[in-house]
Amino acid sequence: MQSDALRDVAARFGGALTETSKVSTISVPPEKVVDACVAVSKLPGLYHLSTITGLDEGEKIVLHYQFWEGVRFVDVKTEVGKSSPKLGSLCAVLPSATLYEAEIQDILGVDFEGNPYRGKKLLLSDDYPAEAPPPLRKEADPAEIRRLMKLE
Amino acid sequence: MSERTEASAGLTQYSPEGMMPFGPVHPSLKEPEYFKLILEGEKIVQVIPRIGYVHRGIERAAQDRTWVKDIYLFERICGICSFAHSLSFTQGVEALTKFEVPKRAKYIRVLVAELERIHSHLLWLGLVGHWAGFDTLFMWVWKDREHILDLSEAITGNRVHKSYSTFGGVRKDLPDGIADKIRPELKYIEKRATYYAELVRSEETMSVRTKGVGRVTQEKARELCPVGPLLRCTGISRDVRAEDPYAAYDDIVPDVQTRVEGDIASLLDLRIAEVIDSARMASEALDKLPGGAFKAPVTRTIPAGESDFHVEAPRGELFYFVKSSGRSVPDRVKIRTPTMANILTATEMLKGHTLADVPVVLTGMDPCFGCMDRVAVLDTNRSKEYSISGEDLRQLGIDYYRRGNR
Amino acid sequence: MGSFRTGLTQWARKRSIWVFHVNAASCNGCDIEILASLTPRYDAERLGVELVPSPRHADVLLVTGTVNPLMRDRLRTIYEQMPEPRHVVAIGACALGGGVMKECYNVGHGIDSVIPVDLYIPGCPPRPEAIIYGILKLVTGKPADPQVETPIAK
Repeated sequence: MQSDALRDVAARFGGALTETSKVSTISVPPEKVVDACVAVSKLPGLYHLSTITGLDEGEKIVLHYQFWEGVRFVDVKTEVGKSSPKLGSLCAVLPSATLYEAEIQDILGVDFEGNPYRGKKLLLSDDYPAEAPPPLRKEADPAEIRRLMKLE
Repeated sequence: MSERTEASAGLTQYSPEGMMPFGPVHPSLKEPEYFKLILEGEKIVQVIPRIGYVHRGIERAAQDRTWVKDIYLFERICGICSFAHSLSFTQGVEALTKFEVPKRAKYIRVLVAELERIHSHLLWLGLVGHWAGFDTLFMWVWKDREHILDLSEAITGNRVHKSYSTFGGVRKDLPDGIADKIRPELKYIEKRATYYAELVRSEETMSVRTKGVGRVTQEKARELCPVGPLLRCTGISRDVRAEDPYAAYDDIVPDVQTRVEGDIASLLDLRIAEVIDSARMASEALDKLPGGAFKAPVTRTIPAGESDFHVEAPRGELFYFVKSSGRSVPDRVKIRTPTMANILTATEMLKGHTLADVPVVLTGMDPCFGCMDRVAVLDTNRSKEYSISGEDLRQLGIDYYRRGNR
Repeated sequence: MGSFRTGLTQWARKRSIWVFHVNAASCNGCDIEILASLTPRYDAERLGVELVPSPRHADVLLVTGTVNPLMRDRLRTIYEQMPEPRHVVAIGACALGGGVMKECYNVGHGIDSVIPVDLYIPGCPPRPEAIIYGILKLVTGKPADPQVETPIAK
């Protein structure tokens, strides 16, 4: 039953559904991710957003919005280009996303329009060097960041 | 809807630049964190968290270290729920592989995980007592907690960072005859926990400061998605061990505790009940402990794949995302600790309260900022910003309630 | 360093060591062992060791943690708020040089890169016995001397 509902959501937002024994993944384009997440969160038993995971995959940054249903995870997946990583923020409709988005802003440099921490730091220090890339990006070098922050 | 936009707007309206920093020593936490409290009159109307005082860069470091070294790295994210981290990571990685964890190892994992839950909840209970001005409780509880640390040391070799779960099982087997040492201690803990449950209910110092304080409703909980005891005290019964059993939890089933009041008093009651249930589960793990190997043979490389795994740490759902591309080091490990999920709910709990309640409410959510990555005050009516030291805030609370306020 | 060893004041100081504890980006492991050393099983309080709420009242600063950028300046401020004579004890592998977090992008290189340290207590975390031994060694013996053997008190 849940699979059909998820397939519906995927179809509505121009995405595809893939399932493993543990995770149902709906891949959607970035401009649809907010609506897709809201639709998923309205499905029975799926209000709980566990977290938002960001990964650097070279040219693009992949984001997983992970909802915990009980036995399985429902993962709304999207990707943004690294050169202009912008997304709409979920926090006006799903406030639990606020800190998870803020963390990704800090460590991967994704810009969530509408997140109150946009332009501010949640985890990193305010004097994180502007010339260093966000620390979880592949091109970031911890030794270089330490040198710039005078941690050596 | 409008309340939510207001909340988001509030965060930008009261910007960090206008605040006077409070100082690194947080009022109620052993760790440095940073909450900006915005007061209107006596009441707190908005709380802005700014964390990161314990941010170390562990997720990035994990990508440079081998899989086994990362076990030792992740367990040091937090000294209190160290085994939960190691359990979640090792099982998350095992999900990518064909390693068959032997049954004996699964039961031992449950035993140690429940012992850790007991130690963590007792630690918390003592701290709540301390911040409520009830130092006797703190001393008694921490003395009892030593019994559990002794057991941890006897089983794993260390009191705090046990380094006990590894890929394929546990690092070493239980010592001979350990069951006879464990059982009497569990009985002792059960007896003491029952006593403490009654004590915090009847002792006025505690009940006055915790009943009705820090209330959070079920609707708010669904909106803000807290985890663990903080979620269960609002009446929503969710526990990873019961919903998505791992290790041997399909056989040793937790008696998931819920309360409905959603306040700190119900959290006290709930966590102490969990201690008693954990003692029961640890004992059951010993009774049902099968023979056999304690660890499966494993390969050095981990096959490519992505894995979502979560465990019920003492503070709630601990989530690990592990991505491998078949190399000797992980591609990405993402950790979402329970305290991170609970912060927003904690800020909600503070609203409507006065400064006197801040220590107990913030300790009540059982924060573990080591896991997750501190009080400045803006008084909008008097248009002034000031800072209060941790100890002054604790004393403020004690004096406030001694004067008979409620 | 002679401050602990001469005169009546010093005799009194030896028996009343007020400590202030700072967590400078630590996992809490060391912090809970410090607190444990003050609880009835180990009871450092019988030796006159007392945890005070402000650095202005403290003789000894106990520091744990990796001292990340956000904590650096705070730590310095706390140290400067302590009246002399003051001593600093770095507790735990992270405080000594980063510990297992060494080379993480947000981690300093030990407490002694920020404030001067008089005594180091290694461990991850050190046991309460080791912590008490270390504090007593600070008060009665030569601190921070790497040649001195420091067996853990029984």
